[in-house]
Amino acid sequence: MGSFYSDHRTWLHAVSASLKLILLAIFGTALFVFDNTVVLLACTALCLLFFASLGRATLPARKLLTMVVAAGLLITAFHAYMQQPLLGLVSALRLLSASLLGIALMLTTRANDLLDVLESWLSPLNRFGIRSNALALQLALMLRFTEHFFIQWKRLDDAHRVRTGKSGGFKLLAPLTIRMLTSAQRVADALDLRLPP
Amino acid sequence: MTSSRSSGLAYVSLFAALVAVFGLIPKIDLPLGVPITLQTLGVMLAGCMLGPKKALQALLLFLAALALGLPLLSGGRGGLGVFVAPASGYLIGFPIGALATGLLMAYLPVSSPRRAAVSAFVASAVGGVLTIHICGVIGLVALAKLSWTQALWGTLVFVPGDLIKCVLCAIVVHSVARGLPDWRFGGRAFR
Repeated sequence: MGSFYSDHRTWLHAVSASLKLILLAIFGTALFVFDNTVVLLACTALCLLFFASLGRATLPARKLLTMVVAAGLLITAFHAYMQQPLLGLVSALRLLSASLLGIALMLTTRANDLLDVLESWLSPLNRFGIRSNALALQLALMLRFTEHFFIQWKRLDDAHRVRTGKSGGFKLLAPLTIRMLTSAQRVADALDLRLPP
Repeated sequence: MTSSRSSGLAYVSLFAALVAVFGLIPKIDLPLGVPITLQTLGVMLAGCMLGPKKALQALLLFLAALALGLPLLSGGRGGLGVFVAPASGYLIGFPIGALATGLLMAYLPVSSPRRAAVSAFVASAVGGVLTIHICGVIGLVALAKLSWTQALWGTLVFVPGDLIKCVLCAIVVHSVARGLPDWRFGGRAFR
């Protein structure tokens, strides 16, 4: 599976994965709490500055970011058409800010480090009979699959564009599902070799 | 041969990711405070493809990731705050809807791609639409302080869109039934 992780070292690489996850959780919640446009504009500006501070490490995520910006513009345009321009702007700002923070996390944190943090956070659940290591592994797999979905969608969409000259849209949903199911089976095969009996 | 434990881990994570991916696709807000998103399509697909137990696990995993603060809901929302928002009834309804869809899919006929598609439509309509909307209405009454009539009329706005999602789910199930003939829908014989 492909990864957004950038080997180009930045200051954020030196910050621990646990601190990054905690800050992401706090800011993610804060973005939802505020619905004042000025506050959200300031938050988005801060997120943009923060993201820009990563410099060349952000290059692998350029396409994804373009898609997010396009989505934000579409949301704003749609809500403007529905006579709710401010609501559209608030939604687009939240989307952009949260995406910038999420992408920054993916660019600067190895999956293994995330897995270790999640496992330690979930370890109190062991007392209740829930295997925290399995749950942490599932969370990590989920994050990797989320990323993989976008990569596979892009490949299918590019192939569709080459054949027909236009985007595939919902027509790609079925082939994407089949591809992802096959990928998941390969992951299951690999897990089978690694997991204890 | 891959053990059911490994397959379970991988497929549960895959469908939790699918619901997350649908959340990253832009939402449309309605004045009621409830967004129209594609995430319920992920709930329907999880139920139809994985069966009740694994679908329930997939959606609980998704909610756990949300609670940890990951911005996986439409519009980049995440954190514990989303569980007390007006639309949180719908969110709590996701695992229940996936369970209901999976239970139905496990009993409906899937002997041919066409039958599997029809069964998927029925299971999605009952589990992914009816069940989630019942939870959503309860949430709107409890948290948004709407009357039962207001909440019921409000939720009806989403039904046509949700029925389109049921059709999409049936189309995907039909394609998977043709492309992966060994796939056992509703978790009948999880490999």
